[in-house]
Amino acid sequence: MNLRQRDRINPHLDLDTVDAAADLMALNMGPQHPSTHGVLRIKLFLDGEVIIKAVPYPGYLHRGVEKLCERLTCVQLTPIFDKHDYVAPMTNEQALNIALERMLGVEVPRRARYMRTILAELQRLASHLLWLGTFTLDIGGTIGGGASLMMYTFREREPILDVFEMLTGARFHYNTHQVGGNRHDIPDGWAAAVKTCMDQLAARMPEYEEQCVTNSVFLMRTKGIGVIETPLALELGLTGPNLRASGVDLDLRRDAPFHAYDEIKVNVAVSNGCDTHARFEVRIAEMYESIRIVRELIDNVPEGPICSLKPVRTVNQIKLPEGKQMYTAIETPRGELGTWLIGGGAEKGACPYRLKIRPPSLHAMAALPYALVGHTVSDVVAVLGSLDPIMGEVDR
Amino acid sequence: MMGPVDPALRDALAKQFPDVFAAEGDLDPNGVVVPAELHVALAKTLKESFGFTLYVSVIATNFPTSDGETYEVATVLRNPTTAQPFWWRVRLGADPQLATLYPLFAGADWQEREQFDLLGVNFVDHPDMRRLMLSEDWEGFPLRKSYAIDTPHTPWR
Repeated sequence: MNLRQRDRINPHLDLDTVDAAADLMALNMGPQHPSTHGVLRIKLFLDGEVIIKAVPYPGYLHRGVEKLCERLTCVQLTPIFDKHDYVAPMTNEQALNIALERMLGVEVPRRARYMRTILAELQRLASHLLWLGTFTLDIGGTIGGGASLMMYTFREREPILDVFEMLTGARFHYNTHQVGGNRHDIPDGWAAAVKTCMDQLAARMPEYEEQCVTNSVFLMRTKGIGVIETPLALELGLTGPNLRASGVDLDLRRDAPFHAYDEIKVNVAVSNGCDTHARFEVRIAEMYESIRIVRELIDNVPEGPICSLKPVRTVNQIKLPEGKQMYTAIETPRGELGTWLIGGGAEKGACPYRLKIRPPSLHAMAALPYALVGHTVSDVVAVLGSLDPIMGEVDR
Repeated sequence: MMGPVDPALRDALAKQFPDVFAAEGDLDPNGVVVPAELHVALAKTLKESFGFTLYVSVIATNFPTSDGETYEVATVLRNPTTAQPFWWRVRLGADPQLATLYPLFAGADWQEREQFDLLGVNFVDHPDMRRLMLSEDWEGFPLRKSYAIDTPHTPWR
């Protein structure tokens, strides 16, 4: 039975109708499997080693963040948002603050917008470096050169965290954005540190890329694996690199600009491969592009204030208007991170009435029942790694 | 921001759904309120005739009022060519039931399950209406306003 030749895989397949006589095995992958990038359980129904049906069970990290958001004031929310996608906290807090700013109609000074752009691109690099290391480790191990590549990418990620620490005082969970701008101004010597870090990375990136694309084991394990065709990718709501690897030229940085992206040119990487290798290619191309953007901006940060509102003094100094609701989205390393915000909640409007987070990783995980069918158990880690999910963001 | 809606799109929608969309002016930035029976038809029109093929999100919200519970379900789609988002809302009563968008958008599968899980909005004809995040024996729907944040629950083992 060639499962991939059917028109569309049915994720709700009734196994009895496939072949009642087949001796299928149900295998739980996770929730503690090291390559699930968090705690995700996938129940696999196997015929031999071929996957007939895959049922993911998210929710092991569900912390009730949306309920919590209704009890915390807008000022208190930023550090909570840091903890959703713990690999890219910087862009997460930007997503929240942009939503609040657009609802309140607050302008952000140009200097803060440039700083946010640089921080977002540095965060994209840090996030993609972590992805590159873990992805190659998952699929290659020592044979594919994976284990050693992971050490390299963590080494490269370190200086990026160092420049974040120079700016905000924290290596993670920065809490550096606030409504109206940023909290921490650029310290002396920061631009030089960023440039050194970018030079190092730019010099070494081709080597890392070559380690993968010249490795036949790597190519065999990624090409043609985990295909998500364009119409399905759109229907599922895949965004970011996963969608662009399925041939859709959509990047909110260019198409619905936020920060300072309307003042610079963003070259968007697109691939028509739709498979695991295409997702690898797109992310690698994005890393080169991020290095280019950071280098372009770092010397051109305009002078001026970094926040248009007075600094945060009390937790309920930001009040949201009642009866207003809107959807706001920005492009994070993982895709479109959206928030549906309804104003006028508790504490006389200082808390949101409802805050729904649209995590890109949750949509990527919803693609698994389609992408895994017809492949073998060992391909699960390759497909999962290429979708780059962060379970903290999936479950919230 | 939903931003200014393309006039051609607004006119076409006003023609097809005259009771819902006005022929003049901008659409409600909070999202046009659409009767529940037009929910699927509108999504189908947007997807098939206007290129809103990217499924973005579905958001249910609980609004307790003096005469009982009400719910709103907002749906967000995006046109991948223009990057324009579009959203609309459906108002539901105390027993929230709404037709599923799963036949049109495969992504609605998990998103609607999550809203069912947290708010108890039942999506009719959904193939697999189970809880997504919480354990299956969880009692109540946590994102309803009547659900206290400190409600005790038995630890899951």
